[in-house]
This record gives sequence, structure tokens and C-alpha cells, in this order.
Amino acid sequence: MQKKLFVLFICLLALTLSAFAAVKDPDTIVNAEYGAPETLDPHAEWDNASGAVINNLYDNLIKYVGETIEFEPMLSTAVPTPENGLLKDNGKTYIFPIRKGVKFHSGNILTPKDIEYTFERGFLADNSSGAVTLIIEAVSGGEFYTVADWFEAYAGMAYSDAVNDDREPTSAEAKAKLIGFYNEVIDPLFVVEGDNFIVNMKDAFAPFLFIIVKYAGWGSIIDSQWCMANGEWDWKADGWWKWHDRTPEESALHMADAGCGPYKLAVWDQTNNMVVMERFDDYWQGPAKTKTLIFKTVEEYSTRKAMLEAGDADLVLVDPIYRYDFDNNPDIEVISGHPRAQVTSIHMGWKVQETSEYIGSGKLDGNGIPADFFTDINVRAGILHAFNYDALIDDLVNGLGKRVPTDLPEGFLGFDPTLPVYEFDLGKAEKAWKAAWGGEVWENGFKLVAMYNAGNEVRQTACEMLKVYVESINPKFQVEVLGVQWPTYLKATREELCPLYIIGWVADYPDAHNFFSTYYHSNGYYGKRHGGEYNDFAKEYLDPIIDVAVKETDVNKRIEMYAELQKILLENYIATPLYMPQGLYVARKWLKGFFPHLLRSSGDRTPEFYYAWKE
Amino acid sequence: MLAFIVRRLLILPIILIGVTLLIFSMIWMLGPERLIGTYVKSPEALKSEKAVERLIQKYGLDRPAPEMYVKWLGNVLKGDFGYSNVGRQGVLQSIMELIPYTFELALYALIPVVFVGIWLGVIAGSHQDKPLDHGIRIFAIIGWSLPDYVFGLLVLLVFYSYLKWFPPGFLSDASMKVMREGPWKDITHFVTIDAILNWRFDILWDAIRHLIAPLLTLSYLWWAYILRITRSSMLEVLRKDYVRTARAKGLSEKVVINKHVKRNALIPVATVSGGMIVQLFAGTVIVETIFARPGLGRFTATAAVTLDYFSVIGAALFFSLILIVTNLIVDISYALIDPRIRLS
Repeated sequence: MQKKLFVLFICLLALTLSAFAAVKDPDTIVNAEYGAPETLDPHAEWDNASGAVINNLYDNLIKYVGETIEFEPMLSTAVPTPENGLLKDNGKTYIFPIRKGVKFHSGNILTPKDIEYTFERGFLADNSSGAVTLIIEAVSGGEFYTVADWFEAYAGMAYSDAVNDDREPTSAEAKAKLIGFYNEVIDPLFVVEGDNFIVNMKDAFAPFLFIIVKYAGWGSIIDSQWCMANGEWDWKADGWWKWHDRTPEESALHMADAGCGPYKLAVWDQTNNMVVMERFDDYWQGPAKTKTLIFKTVEEYSTRKAMLEAGDADLVLVDPIYRYDFDNNPDIEVISGHPRAQVTSIHMGWKVQETSEYIGSGKLDGNGIPADFFTDINVRAGILHAFNYDALIDDLVNGLGKRVPTDLPEGFLGFDPTLPVYEFDLGKAEKAWKAAWGGEVWENGFKLVAMYNAGNEVRQTACEMLKVYVESINPKFQVEVLGVQWPTYLKATREELCPLYIIGWVADYPDAHNFFSTYYHSNGYYGKRHGGEYNDFAKEYLDPIIDVAVKETDVNKRIEMYAELQKILLENYIATPLYMPQGLYVARKWLKGFFPHLLRSSGDRTPEFYYAWKE
Repeated sequence: MLAFIVRRLLILPIILIGVTLLIFSMIWMLGPERLIGTYVKSPEALKSEKAVERLIQKYGLDRPAPEMYVKWLGNVLKGDFGYSNVGRQGVLQSIMELIPYTFELALYALIPVVFVGIWLGVIAGSHQDKPLDHGIRIFAIIGWSLPDYVFGLLVLLVFYSYLKWFPPGFLSDASMKVMREGPWKDITHFVTIDAILNWRFDILWDAIRHLIAPLLTLSYLWWAYILRITRSSMLEVLRKDYVRTARAKGLSEKVVINKHVKRNALIPVATVSGGMIVQLFAGTVIVETIFARPGLGRFTATAAVTLDYFSVIGAALFFSLILIVTNLIVDISYALIDPRIRLS
């Protein structure tokens, strides 16, 4: 009798367990993470959360082959190369034969004119928060980073002098120059001839295709008819400035979708913090395997973990600190250690805006810091020697990280493992602090705000670690740790309001220039946020090397240039890497089709959803 | 009674003006340079020479405080509370959109908090120093001592991770799809009521499943409070002469408790219950975050963390309004329970 009962119990248990392991809602994939998209306008986005959504809504001219960084055609039917004659004039002319029969989500049919509109719209909009600056840099042969700069060079007057706060030309002369700029400079860059879309670069720029390939949201092709019908740029020379550098919220594409990608936007529900996408059945490559994608913002890790365990989320963002939480769960798959083209760094603003609420009194009186606190090399050294890097990697990211000398990931051209890394040495840190600001810092102390994006526990703990060590050096030193929501965080860093903050950089394209230019160039995405004094330094010592190296075709010469650059960075405590993260994918085992990619937004922890399914 | 209500209503605008003055002072103390940040969205706008001065003049940020107050009050009266970075729309629109979610949670929480709290308090009070009293008090002390985020996570762990009964969030994805694509009509914006009005009992059940864990978290922490007040008030009333007289007249203990003790013992409970609505609103900050629910609490917390001034001020003004109106209702109900109040 007892035996029978035991067998019955085992059968019931097995039945229960198999019921739990059954695939929950096979037509829907739910991804839970703590980041919320900043915008869905491809020309205004430059963050992981936005990019991860945009990647499903839009397609690009070319794409990567699987996990590699080799190219294959997408909306273009061929990849331009010198061999096929589509890359000409010493790398200055790219020809893309455009695919026929591709349908946008609106029902409109893709034509080469859409590609032309896309590039011109992106150029002229040049949203200061977006990544179009990469394309501007490439097409101008590295000469310009913003359309405003390009306009100034063309017109001999600053853009801000030509257009007033109400987006109106300041004079008839200014208006004529603005119109002329489009007609004479921008329009000839992007041309349609028959079925071909042609880019006429001002000068050669080797990484151009890497900048516009799939996974680069800013290279997304948009539906020109939809845009114009919805109040976007009317494609006229007269008036383009009305759409220039708007806030993302002003764009018709901010919460909409004008793409031809495998999924179409169902809703971006800001109240419930989720984005819902539905399969586009007329997708030119055939419908995706899964009907619905849902990206949820769930700030609390315990909630995300519980959702995954219950099967209400199929994959979740897990910080490396929780790497081993799922080891004993047979329903969860954990893949880790794959490379990530990313560096996480501690940033120090050399000149924070005087209006920033994060600098306290704004003086060296123990209740704040001066806006130019970090211009002193000793302050930077004091911070960088007070950081316990090994503890961060071993304890905080559970070994899922590597130290790198400068803000360049291992494996990229110019990476030199023989370069020194900063030591965690409180003696050296103390010496530097004593010398900082002629001894004034040591005498008066300071109150410094160390910021991170709320929800990122690794960055939070790193800031707290820094607080402990810095405050242990001198009781007059105070570090206040402050978590800020992602969109606000990006905005605050962009507006040069943050004195010290931790943020990472994921490669936009697999080339050292993407890191060196971004971090250190006076016009780089992070470089320019460090403020005026940094810009002066960069213009004198760093920009000349970065600008020449990107055009250099001799690899060995390029490596030499980057070695020289990194020497300056280390000597001046300008390189500020904490570690290079490694990938961690955590998902239900029923989710299939994951392959990591270095360049895909969240590509180390989410699949390419077009190929993903549940079984 | 009418005169009492009218008198209190006449005081209302004065209190609101006081609140706006206080809140405005907070804005004004930020100084004109910091306030520019709330008007300028593009950093490029601050790069040109004298941009700061120009913008201060443009938005009148250097005007005398009284003039700025009148202007700000004018904007507020017109419904312009500024732009919310957290809500990605106007502050008022954000608050209006989120009110139903938090109201629904807080109001539903009030029911178990008050009724279970009173019930436990009455039992404890009428069984003073007996094992039942001790047991209830230990239960209450544990609730009162537990931080809400710890208890919330415990509830999540037990009722969701292990039992898989009550999921986090507001509704299941399937229900939200119905609400998004129809057939569905938002009538009251309270999903439980709308579900009934839309004749969608599947969504009603779904909403209840998502409400139970947050309600349990909010309630348990406040049961202790109501219980203790009810119990001590019961003990005080039980010692009154008229209770002794009632017992001497031979009335049963049940009649004594229900007719003579409870009603008088509940006066202080009514007073704190009104204020508790605001406390429950405050409690939603943690609960909404842990259970990933949309709402005003989560919005306010996010705004505070991100120094989104306009959102914080808008939310503060809203909470003040709730507090004032609630106090008014409490005073009226107090007068209803205790006739001596309206006579005085």
C-alpha cells in the first residue's frame, strides 16, 4: 500500500513539474529589464534600451552575417566593395542597389527615394542626443561632427546666429545661406540614380559601412511618405531648420514607427512601462517566428527574477552580481563569458555647468565642488587610485569582467595589454589629494555627487565603494551616491550637469575609432560633455592623433598612433576605465535562437528576436 | 452641520493658497539659473554667449518673487504645472493619468486596513491580557516592525515565486491587449469597476489577482496601527461609568460592546483613518515599485530621485489637496459620530 502511494506521489510530482515546465504563451516573448527607451526616433536614439526596440521595427541597407562582423545585403541587394565596383573613387563613392518589393508597415513600398530622404532627414535633424553625428563624421570624411559646424564652415556664420530660438532665420541673408547649404552641400551627398542610392563622401572614411549596418539604429531606413504625412520634414530646402535639433519628444517618430522591420509597434505604454510589438506579416524576409514581443521595464531585480521563475518573463536582465542565482533552476538557461564590445568607465566632468544641482555650493568649502574641480590632474589621480578594481571584478561582477588600460575593449585595433593599469593604492590617492588645488582640497574637503543610472546595482555599488575609500582618506571628504533614472541620467550627462558618473559605452561599430573618438575627441559623444577646459586640452593633444589615425590605411602606422594617444591618456589620468564587461544571458530554456553579437543593442543577453521562438 | 461644512469649505482656499505659497517658495529658492534647466531642453541653447542671461529675461525668472508667484499661480490655475521628464508629458497630464491606478490601490487597501484593524482591535480590547489579546498584539507588532519593502518582497516570494498565485504588474499581457485593442471602454478608469461595466469578469479576476499581493503588503503594515488605537480606545471606554451601568442593568457583554463601547471607541479611529488615506498613498511608493505597478507613488519617487522639480512640486500639490480634502471629510464624519463636535 505504501509503495503504491509512493508511486502515485511520484507521478503527481512529475505531472506537476512537467506542467510548470510547459511553454507559457508560445506566441509571445516577454523581455524584462530596468532600462526604458528614451525615444523610438532612429535619428534621435543612442541608448541600448531604445536601440533594442528600434532593431525590431526597422531595417538597414546591409547587415552582419550571423555572429560575425562580415556584411551581407539587406535593403541593398549588394554590399559595396571595390571588387564589385560599388565602392569607387578611393572609398569616396558608395553605390547601393535598392531591393524591390519591400513594404513598410504603413503599406507604402520602399523606393531609393526613401533612402535618400532617410539620410537627408537624419543629417538635417541632427538631434544632439542622437548618433547621426557618426554618419556626419563619416560622410564629411571626419571633418565635421554636427550639421551646425558644417553649416558654419559653408556660410561663414554660426548656426545659432542664423536661426533664432523660435527656429526662424535671423535675416534674409541667413535664410538664403540656410537654403543654399541644403542645395549645395547636403543634397549632392545623397543621390538617387535609377534603382541605386549613392553616397558621395567628402573624403574616405574606412568604417562607414560599420556605421550604417543593421544594429546601428541611426542607419534605419524610414518611410518618407509616412514621415511627411505626419508632420516631419517636408523635404524642402526652405525650412529644414524647423526640424533641426529638436527634442526627441517633438518628433513624430518619437512614439511611432515608420519602418519595414520584422515587427511593428503596437504600443509604447509609458504608464505601464512597456513596449509591445506585433509581427509584421508582410515582412520582406518572411514573417518572424513569434507573434508578439513585449519589452517591460521592471526596476526591481527581485521582481524580474520572480517573473522569470514563474515564466511570466522569458528573459530578464540580470546584473553579474546575481550570476549564480539560477544555477539550481533546471528551467533557466544561463550563458556567460562571451565577449562584449563595451567598456564601463568612471567619468569626470572637467567643467560642469554652473547651474548644475549636483555640485552643491559650487565652491571648495566642504559643501560642494567647483564646476572645474576635475581640471586638476591630482583630483583625477585621487579618484582613480582610490578605486578597488579587482574587488569590483571579483565580487561585484562575479568575474564577468576584465581590466583594460584605456577605454578600449580587448581585441580592438590598438589594444595593448602591456600598457599599465591604474593601481588601487590609497597611499598614492592620498598623495594626489594633498597636492590637489594647491592643498585647498585637503584643507577644506568637498562634497561630491557620484551618479549612476537607477537600477544598475553594479554601478551603484561601485559608487558606494568609491565613497567608502575616498571618505576614508580624509574625514572632510564626502561622496554622495545618487541614482537617477536612465532618460534623466542621459539628459543630465548630455547637458554637462554631472561631476562624476559611471556609464558604459557599447561599440557602434567594431573599430578603435569608435571608442577613442567617443571618449576623448573634443567633439566626441562623451568627450564634449567634459566641458570647455577638456575640449581645449583635447584639441591640442588628442584630436590631431584621432583625426589622422581614422584616415590612415596602414594598420601598423595606425597602431603606432593609438599607442602614442594612449600614452598621453594614461599620463594625464584621462583614460578612466573600470572594466570591460563580459556577457550574461539569462532566459527560460524554452526560448530558442539566441546567438550573441558584439554590436547588437543588448546583443549579449537578448536574441535577435526575428529568429527567436519558444518551444 | 451645514454651517460647519460651509465654514470648513471657506477655509479651504486659504489653506490651498498657503500650500502653493510654500511650494512656490521651494521653486523660487532654486534660483533663476537652475530654473532655466526646466525650460531649455537643448544644451546647445546654453552654449552661446550670454545665453543664460537671455533666457532668464525671456522667461522672467529674474522678476520679483511676488510677481513670479502670481505668474506661477496663474499657470497652475490654467493647469500648466510644467513638463514632467519622468512622465514625458505635462505634469498634470501625468498625474491625471496615474491617479486612478494609485487611488484604486489605496482605496481598496483602506477597506481591509480599517475593518480588519478594528475587528482585531475590538477582539484584543475585549480580551485584555488573555492569550488572544497577546497573540493579536504580537501579530501587530511584527507588522508594525517590518519595513514595507522587506514584507513586500516576502509576499512576492511566497505568493508569486513559490505559489504562483498573485503575479506582479497591473494586469496580465492578455488583459492589457484587450484594454488596448478592445472591445473595452474606460469609464471610471478603475480597472476593477470598468471590468464589471464592460462585462469582462475575466479581466476583473485578473485585476484582483494582481491587486491581492500589494493590498496584503499595504494592509498588514497598517493593521497594527488601527488595531492598537482601537484596542486602547476600547479599554478606555470599557472603564467608563456608563459601561459599568450597562453591565449593571444586566445587558449581555455582546450588547455592551456593540452598542455602548464600539461607537465611542471608534471616534479616534475615524480621525486617523482619514489621514491614513494619505499614508496609504505614501505606502504605494514602495509597493508600486516592488510589484511593478504603475501609479503616482512610483512616479513621485522616480521624480524625487531624478530631481524632476516640476513633477515633484505637482505631486506635492496634489498630495496636499488630498490631505486637505480628506481632513475635511474626517472632520465631517467626526461630527457625525460625535454630536458634541457640531454643537461646539
